Amino acid sequence: MINRFPVRPALLAAGVSLVALLAAGCGSSNNAPEGAKKMSFELTDAGCVPNTAKAPAGPINFEVENAGTTSVNEFEVLDGDTILGEVENLADGLSGSFSLTLEPGKYTLYCPGGSEERGTLNVTGKFEAANGPEVEAAITQYRDYLEKNTAELVAETEPFVTAVISGEVDEAKTLYAAARIPYERIEPVAESFGELDPRIDARENDVPAKDFGGFHRIEQALWVENTTEGMTPVAKQLLADVEELQRKVRTVSLQAVQIANGANELLGEVSASKITGEEERYSHIDLVDFEANVEGAEAAFEAVEPLLSKKDPKLAKEIEASFEDVYASLKPYRRGSGFVSYTELTKADTRKLAQEIDALAEELSRVPAQIVGE
Amino acid sequence: MSEITRRRLLASAGVGAAGIGLAGAGGYLIGSETAQADDGTGSVPFYGEHQAGIDTPAQDRLHFAAFDLVTEDRAALRELMSEWSRAAAEMTAGKMIGDANDVQLAPPDDTGETVGLLPSRLTVTFGFGPSLFERRGLGLERMRPPALRDIPALPADELNEAEGGGDICVQACSDDPQVAFHAIRNLARIGRGTVVMRWSQLGFGRTASTSRSQETPRNLMGFKDGTANIKAEDTEAMARFVWVGDEGPTWMRGGSYLVTRRIRMLLEIWDRSALADQEETIGRDKYAGAPLGGSDEFDPLDLEAQRNGKPTIPIDAHVRLASASVNDGERILRRGYSFTDGVDESLGELEAGLFFICFQRDPQSQFVAIQRRLGANDALNEYIKHVGSAVFAVPPGARSGGYVGETLLG
Repeated sequence: MINRFPVRPALLAAGVSLVALLAAGCGSSNNAPEGAKKMSFELTDAGCVPNTAKAPAGPINFEVENAGTTSVNEFEVLDGDTILGEVENLADGLSGSFSLTLEPGKYTLYCPGGSEERGTLNVTGKFEAANGPEVEAAITQYRDYLEKNTAELVAETEPFVTAVISGEVDEAKTLYAAARIPYERIEPVAESFGELDPRIDARENDVPAKDFGGFHRIEQALWVENTTEGMTPVAKQLLADVEELQRKVRTVSLQAVQIANGANELLGEVSASKITGEEERYSHIDLVDFEANVEGAEAAFEAVEPLLSKKDPKLAKEIEASFEDVYASLKPYRRGSGFVSYTELTKADTRKLAQEIDALAEELSRVPAQIVGE
Repeated sequence: MSEITRRRLLASAGVGAAGIGLAGAGGYLIGSETAQADDGTGSVPFYGEHQAGIDTPAQDRLHFAAFDLVTEDRAALRELMSEWSRAAAEMTAGKMIGDANDVQLAPPDDTGETVGLLPSRLTVTFGFGPSLFERRGLGLERMRPPALRDIPALPADELNEAEGGGDICVQACSDDPQVAFHAIRNLARIGRGTVVMRWSQLGFGRTASTSRSQETPRNLMGFKDGTANIKAEDTEAMARFVWVGDEGPTWMRGGSYLVTRRIRMLLEIWDRSALADQEETIGRDKYAGAPLGGSDEFDPLDLEAQRNGKPTIPIDAHVRLASASVNDGERILRRGYSFTDGVDESLGELEAGLFFICFQRDPQSQFVAIQRRLGANDALNEYIKHVGSAVFAVPPGARSGGYVGETLLG
């Protein structure tokens, strides 16, 4: 992550406000899509009220109010075991809302703490996607990319964590980069989940010392302290966090503009923390992250490229060419399956790389406004 | 002290006898308090209860420098502060420094680049860093105010030691960049052999208004900055948040603490972010300067307002996290400047940003507490990094004929 942490609920909100009409296939959002069906629920000692409900397929805005119970403060909609959407921490008198776009089927309403915790939501009828087929295709393509990378993240983090727990310093160092790559490819999405990104990817001083965990805490232990001592709880938490990320990504709501914005953010990450050597300050594998960020940006761009090509084919071609330029500028630093250490780069090297990224990013930043309304 | 104003010198040198007639015209500048004049004739008195350059309406230009002592001789430090104060008083009055400016075989006391220039509201403000009190030979350890401690590591820090710290600081502000530069250059020259310059920073545009008489300026992100700043006219707020009272050591009463942060803006990234994103990052309308949800720049922040079930001013917006209401009522007097120092050698990007300066009674409970909150959560952190940091105890002003620091060293 950049400097910095968090979490840009603001970004999501900005994306949504630009394109309220681009409500996604199936997922949760805190902003009500236009034309959403409104459904009101109350939290009481009994649980969710009503406890059984029907709705037409399509976008639904759930409005939930705590009507005076201290035993229930949470409302969830589940598909099987997967949480699709929820409001939490609704104390007596508080209300909250979220939106879901639901396909026909039977869903679970869940109000933990109520005398009857579970209820049923029956969704019937046929859902006509608000988006055109091209937008749906873009969203599907990028969603697949997200899921592929979170799966890879979990798969690569497992052996890394195992090596850390069993005290194999050299082995853990070898496995570190492979676990970083899938995360860096999808980082803006990870950042949209509140505290998850800082837990997984904070750097020292981004968070209070007592909260410093995740990849970079272990990186520090491996490369600076040359030990895994004391890292077992950190490693276990890291694995739990990436698994949580994998679950959350399944329910994320996506819009085309948001995907395009994510590409920009990834290049912002490159400029702000990879090209400066700040991200991987102990292992110096910054160029590995650099490439992963660029790959993630490219995947996001490719997903929306058909939308852009209709509006501005010249820009689409220019961006394609600039991606090639960036990869070409990375080429001299490749070593085997990885890259030279950041410490081997001269100022002239980093300057060239930074300016290539700036050129690409300036073009990419023009994409979101072009595809709004598609 | 020289009685020749820079204008008078020029007039007498240039037009001979006519210069006498102009001398009177130049003379009115001395000691006047036309601090509001924006035609360059305004001058700000150097002597007073507080040092100038804190509650002075922020001038347009800055040259700031930090020095390290090369001696541990207290008498030498006393002599330096005395000479610096005298020179500062001359310069702020629009006069040349020193006596020997027309000896053919000697280098002139004054370097000369402000000859013909007006006082331009120059202020020179001195401060003492924590490291000064650690120089054993000076014997000042016990005089160190509890409030004067190094700024701890903060979230979003990417500090470069060479761009921070220092035993003594000099803040020179003026509406004319050459006048500000001249002040630092000449003080550095006077100090040679006693101090060496550790770092310095030019600022080309003020980013805060410190008086109700001033328009709110824009920072390099294109946003109005400092709308909610403490204004000098608000004497109650100044007394509560800026001027040291009974809590400090006696020698600091009427003084303040100055914190500088060299904040590099990642302008290339900022410039390619969407307008909506920029406005949600700051929490204000870019052009009107109004808080989101408001219509006028000076509308109060409505931190409770909701839009589409979300806070109108996002939870991580800069204005929200910097506001007094989320910082236990703590406020600071900001007096920062935009800077640019060419091209970042290793990135090929604009080396530019905000040279943040603030004054307060207690850096720990004010700046540090506020920055902790900002550093951990501020949306703006994606676009900035703090690369330099320093803190100084700014003693009270000097009486006429005395010197700044006399309360500590006298």
